[in-house]
Amino acid sequence: VLQKSLVILLAVAWLGICRAADPERSVVQIITFEQQPIWDAPWRFDAVRRMGGSGFVIKGKRVMTNAHVVSWGRQIIVRKYQDPRPYVAEVEYVGHDCDLAVLTVEDGRFFENLQPLELGELPKVRSAVVTYGYPAGGEEISYTRGVVSRIELETYAHIGNRRLLSVQTDAAINPGNSGGPVIQDDRVVGVAFQGIPGLENAGFFIPPPIIQHFLKDIEDGHYDGFPHAGLRVTELQNPAYRAFLKLPDDSVGARIDGILPIASTEKVLKVDDVLLRVGPYPVANDGTILYEGNRVSAALAFQLAQNSECVPVQIWRDGQRQEVSLPVYRYDGDHAAGYQYDLLPRYFVYGGLVFTPLSLDYMRTLGRGARETDSGEFSYELYFRRYESVATARPEPIVLASVLADTVNANVSVRGRTLVDRINGIRIEKLEDVVRAFETSTNAQDLIEFLPHQGFECLDRGEVAKANAGILKTYGIASDRRL
Amino acid sequence: MISVNNSIPTRWRNRTLHLLLVWVLVFEAGFLATAAEPPVQKAPASWESSIVTIEVARKRYDYYQPWTRRTSQMQKSGLVLADHQILTTADEMFDRTLVRLQKNGRGRWWIGEVTWIDYHANLALVTCVDADFWRDLKPVTLKGEMPAENNLQVLRWRNGNLENRHAEFNQFIVREGQLSTVSHVTLEADCEIQGAGGSEPVVANSHVVSIVNAQADRTCIAIPASFITDILEAKKNGKYHGLGYFHFYWQPAANPASLARLKLSGEPRGVIVIQVPDRPDGGEQVLKPQDIILQIDGFDIDIQGDYEDPEYGHLMLENLSTRAKWAGDEAKMKIWREGKPLDITYRLPKYDYSTSLVPMATYDQDPEYLMIGGLVFQPLTDSYLQSWGPDWKRRAPFRLTYYRTESPEKDRPSLVLLSQVLPDPYNIGYQEQRCLVVDKVNGQRVNRLPDLRAALDKPVNGFHIIEFVQSDSLRKMVLIAGDTEHEATSRVLKRYGINEPLHFAPEREK
Repeated sequence: VLQKSLVILLAVAWLGICRAADPERSVVQIITFEQQPIWDAPWRFDAVRRMGGSGFVIKGKRVMTNAHVVSWGRQIIVRKYQDPRPYVAEVEYVGHDCDLAVLTVEDGRFFENLQPLELGELPKVRSAVVTYGYPAGGEEISYTRGVVSRIELETYAHIGNRRLLSVQTDAAINPGNSGGPVIQDDRVVGVAFQGIPGLENAGFFIPPPIIQHFLKDIEDGHYDGFPHAGLRVTELQNPAYRAFLKLPDDSVGARIDGILPIASTEKVLKVDDVLLRVGPYPVANDGTILYEGNRVSAALAFQLAQNSECVPVQIWRDGQRQEVSLPVYRYDGDHAAGYQYDLLPRYFVYGGLVFTPLSLDYMRTLGRGARETDSGEFSYELYFRRYESVATARPEPIVLASVLADTVNANVSVRGRTLVDRINGIRIEKLEDVVRAFETSTNAQDLIEFLPHQGFECLDRGEVAKANAGILKTYGIASDRRL
Repeated sequence: MISVNNSIPTRWRNRTLHLLLVWVLVFEAGFLATAAEPPVQKAPASWESSIVTIEVARKRYDYYQPWTRRTSQMQKSGLVLADHQILTTADEMFDRTLVRLQKNGRGRWWIGEVTWIDYHANLALVTCVDADFWRDLKPVTLKGEMPAENNLQVLRWRNGNLENRHAEFNQFIVREGQLSTVSHVTLEADCEIQGAGGSEPVVANSHVVSIVNAQADRTCIAIPASFITDILEAKKNGKYHGLGYFHFYWQPAANPASLARLKLSGEPRGVIVIQVPDRPDGGEQVLKPQDIILQIDGFDIDIQGDYEDPEYGHLMLENLSTRAKWAGDEAKMKIWREGKPLDITYRLPKYDYSTSLVPMATYDQDPEYLMIGGLVFQPLTDSYLQSWGPDWKRRAPFRLTYYRTESPEKDRPSLVLLSQVLPDPYNIGYQEQRCLVVDKVNGQRVNRLPDLRAALDKPVNGFHIIEFVQSDSLRKMVLIAGDTEHEATSRVLKRYGINEPLHFAPEREK
């Protein structure tokens, strides 16, 4: 009996390997030589780093992977299963908000004998999945098996300020797995993309609805991104609030507690409107919808639309039901509060004073002591002012990032890491204002005023004009600006 | 008020340092029993009759549960002065329930009474009504005179012996007070003593030169004798009305291009005023942004903001607001404005915790709160924020700590927050809300708890509508008013063991 059991177990294992043998041929190793800009010295770049990731072949002779696997790539190499030849790949489309990218490989031989993997459906919770990829610790393909633990909206760490649908699994997802497929019944049910440091047996993958949204988005040859309705929806479970709104005391309806300054949304919806249904999904009083058997945030119902599409919404307003149609768009108003890619940081150097936009990437250069360094001004400006004081919020707050030492600025006490308020009397709303303020002034001195206490510094314009070229040369800066 | 000479405001740096000092004090107090220390020298017998031990029992509050009290006690030093007075620091004397005094480091304890306390200056006077206590005690002399040979000693009673540690003078430096943001001169001395900061006298030969109010590593930070004697003298003469300060921001004038723009020719000198907030006393601000302060009370101000003090050498100009001057006194300033010299008189405003948007302290006052139906409202204060522990500046919610950097305004002099919700059927759906700053209740602006109470008396159509300051968190709540609310409040009081639904500070009760 014991011998028979062993045989059966072995057979099952063998069958399992046989079934897995096909998908793995379509899983590729990706090696990216990346080089990131230095956000407080924006004309410079960090050292080139070799990053490893995974990907898989999809229809149309494309390789799908994570955006973070190929971001800031100077060269991207893909390798096929058990094939040592390196192939050069290029990014065709990238969606940083959803952490997905598709690559093309010019060398036609790459796709020989490769079958594109098919996309499956959103897997069920508790169902088994297998991740394929090339995680750190070896060069050969690796498989890990696990079950789907839960499905909900998670913050996508690559961009940092977007929450999209995500699947948690206990299958090990380690560095290098990123971009690799998660397979169930020979179909791709996810793209492995992130874990939580310190949390064991918890890896996350991007599920088919997000992948399909991305692929549909790029069908027109351009990636727009996921729409953002700009609503802050809060639960409506207290009977008093429901009675106040003359809403039946049941489990339907979540209240709009705040709206971002998005004109198209403000035109259709108001604070205290109650969302009863978004698209085909009834909204529960805890702000969730039932999606494929999973309770997830109602924000998903808006995200499933493509950029500029209209979402039918049923609301409760003034004691009655109303049907409205909400056009939803990609939202860029908070891009500085998330990590940025592809576009090199903007800057302007004048008299050795380096001006650059305030951003999360810039904040990261300050290290862990940022709150002591800036007394919280940066964090407030980046994360709170636009909610609390729309009238005083600046589209692109500018910081004096550093001062490149030179005789012309030797007596300037402020040496960087300071928010700029005005230059030569012009309120600085964006980097172009800095350039205009310096280039249009006719005073003998430039006056630069800082926040929060209106401290100021002056530069002798005549001396700066003579020194500018020399400073750029001394510090190896090819251009005084990137706008 | 503040010098702004780089991106780290002085006040921030100093507050950080103070936090560290408090931590060191607390930590090392528990460390005394086991730490290896250099041998203790025996103090001259003459000091034994001039230094007493003060034991303070006091209330400690848990601002997460403002209705609860704990007690603690600690010991510190006191210096015998004339007229049956004992001098000590005000630190750890707040929220006191009992003060006891002990002579000779051992034996009987005597009941002490605090006759005067000034938290801003960090000074207090204690007395004992029992005449027997004063027998054999000898008043000391407080003198700023520093010995040429630098032989300072730090003294305190410990295990029945008068501990005597050699200290080496470092410098006189202007820094914010231990219990306030008013800057004044302090003495720094290196010493091998551990856990100092409890008002230990620093003596030189036969007189006391300062009392220690904090310690950072080996450095003792002490309040100099002249600062103390000036205050005590002014108090005696009825001229002391609390500490004053300079209520404006300035920056060094090290940049000749900035001075050229302000049309000041000649050698660079003075400091530049950059921001002049409204005075807390509503008085006229005589300074304007871009004034250059050249002289204060006849002392030339250099481009770093220092002046040459006849007693202490180079000191930051802030000290001129406390150098034998008090709230309401005048400082004569020579300034440069719009290309011309000008003499002005600056009246020093009185420092007070309550003039900050987020008060730094609320001493001798049980925590204020108001609870309805499980919703707990409290004023936003440093004491509340400190409930996040020693690292509270990092751990407390950013938006709340950031209010500390903001100035009060006429229509927003202080803040009230919904600190937490004690779960009850009445507040279902709101149980996880916390740390929300209240804007309006039932349409009325709420700056203080009495405003809140008044607003709750006027529900709107049977509802309480609570609006929070616009931020990235919840902005509005609605609750049932009336009997349901009162029943819920009673239920929560009983279930959570709370005696009273509210506590206001006495002066606000009026």
